[in-house]
Amino acid sequence: MHNLGTVFSFEFLRTVKKKVFWISILLFPVMIAAIAAIAYTSGKATDEALKESQSEKFSLAIVDESGVVSPQLIEAFGATVKPDREAGVTAVKSGQVDAFFYFPSDISKNPVEIYAQDAGMFDNSKYDAVAKLLLEQSVSSSVSESVKAILQGNITTNTVTYKDGVEFDGIKTMIIPGIFLVLFYFVIAMFGNQMLNSTVEEKENRVIEMLLTSVETRTLIIGKILALIVLGLVQVLLILIPTILGYLLLKDQLSLPSLDLASLTFDWGRIAAGFAIFVLSFLFFTGLLVTIGASVPTAKEAGPFIGAVMLLIFGPLYAASLFVSNPEAGIVQFLSYFPLTAPIPLLLRNAIGNLQPHEALISLGILLVCTVLVVNLAVRVFRYGALEYSRKLSFKEILGKN
Amino acid sequence: MTKAIISVDHFTMKFGDTTVIDDLSFEVRRGETFGLLGSNGSGKTTTIRALLGAYIPTAGKLTINGKPYRVDGSVRLGYLPEERGLYKKESVIDTMVYFGRLKGMSARDARAWSQQYLERVELGDKAGIRLDKLSGGQQQKVQLGITVMNNPELLILDEPTKGFDPVNRRLLMDIIEEHQKKGATAIYITHQMEEVERLCDRILLLKNGNAAAYGTVKEVKKKYGGKSLDDIFVEIYGGRDNA
Repeated sequence: MHNLGTVFSFEFLRTVKKKVFWISILLFPVMIAAIAAIAYTSGKATDEALKESQSEKFSLAIVDESGVVSPQLIEAFGATVKPDREAGVTAVKSGQVDAFFYFPSDISKNPVEIYAQDAGMFDNSKYDAVAKLLLEQSVSSSVSESVKAILQGNITTNTVTYKDGVEFDGIKTMIIPGIFLVLFYFVIAMFGNQMLNSTVEEKENRVIEMLLTSVETRTLIIGKILALIVLGLVQVLLILIPTILGYLLLKDQLSLPSLDLASLTFDWGRIAAGFAIFVLSFLFFTGLLVTIGASVPTAKEAGPFIGAVMLLIFGPLYAASLFVSNPEAGIVQFLSYFPLTAPIPLLLRNAIGNLQPHEALISLGILLVCTVLVVNLAVRVFRYGALEYSRKLSFKEILGKN
Repeated sequence: MTKAIISVDHFTMKFGDTTVIDDLSFEVRRGETFGLLGSNGSGKTTTIRALLGAYIPTAGKLTINGKPYRVDGSVRLGYLPEERGLYKKESVIDTMVYFGRLKGMSARDARAWSQQYLERVELGDKAGIRLDKLSGGQQQKVQLGITVMNNPELLILDEPTKGFDPVNRRLLMDIIEEHQKKGATAIYITHQMEEVERLCDRILLLKNGNAAAYGTVKEVKKKYGGKSLDDIFVEIYGGRDNA
């Protein structure tokens, strides 16, 4: 491993020296904050506009065949009562009133009909809001506060669960192991392309032949992989630190949910498993992407492969509900053990607590073996594909070299 | 007789059904400048790539200092390949220091040597500039500098003047002569016969993967009735395109 440190420091420094590295990383939490701020501001403005439109006065006619709407409320709203639906609709059409509400005899089965002057797509919602308000207030005046809360869905629960006789909160236990799932997602999504291109560049630049007479292929590949791993960790820290700081500083302003760090439960076994799965998965996919990069002549030709790899990594997310509800299912077991799909199922199942220790050990073993194999393959492909400037190496050629 | 630094012994190289080199044997002696000559496709680059471990020979043995070449620092090699390039988005000095360190120099020595070399080739003010901002000729100077970093004991130059402008060609010749004086061994792969006459002690002319002529320049000329190397080249390769 002569020159490993030289390769590592060159690969690491030339990436962190680039402005685009810092821009892409720092832009991420900024974008998340911006999206949250836009969503919050937009939601707030919408609520305010809705309240404003609901408080706007409009002339109203009513036919209540249900008998639910309180006559006092009809009077308070200044609504006129029409003899039948046709009369109400005619009054709206002629411009005599702004809106007409028809409450059918059985409002549990038939919809409340609203006929009204068009006030614009957004402001038309005020008619629906007032119709519902009439019904709610009519009913709530005759029931207790508790019944009112039940009907409005304003009931909260407080659950205490026990495991082996000790109080146990599954949600709080899954937060820390779950962080590894989120980290893996971000690191691969943001770094995959760089992994793929890290070996293509030398071929594209025609620097490879000079390079390989100065450094061993294995040293070069391992140095590159180590640099990518450290860069990935730097990236994670640079995303996490501003995100945590942003959360702490803007939690109240953005009405973000409060996270009581002191109440988090630390299941060290699951945290260790999550860390090991994260590290090995990251190593495995780094090796895989470097191998793909080494086997193609240009970055352009490497492009389609990243899509296929991303599909394999993140495709299992579509079966996420199955990982939670039926971890014994054959498809879940397959996706958990097959190295190309394993990271998401393993990290997710470890976070929710249904990954058994023996499953974790077997899958980690598989990932470890595959990582060693794929790094060796990357060295082989790079060595023999290095001088193929204009064509891809076939699988047969890679395996056929002695 | 001077001991051989390079030995190629019954070397055969096949790509699929095509035999590029067929049972080739020759030696390069320590301290000499050896011309490896031949028309396009005659197997010159293949021989060098096999010597440097990029290709695995179908048969035969290729050694430097008595053993197959390995990048372990035991041979101070300066190699200028036919297919050459640099890290385009890195600065001149960072690239030179990187290669200097890979060749066994300390970062400080590599930086100092690079700066001195860049001053010599009038690129002293370009050290911090990205390589893709340099002209083609300036990039060639940097490549040449990288090739001769760390005082190589063995220089392998594969068509070194290919694409070089006259200024860089002169620079290259000067540098090769400097290293000759220091006792370095050089393999010079080309089909520019005037350069061969000026620089080489012994030559090998490859034809169809075999040695068509092998010996000192004087011996080869004598064998062909005192003709110039240009005429010998034309005689050996006949009507083939040798551009």
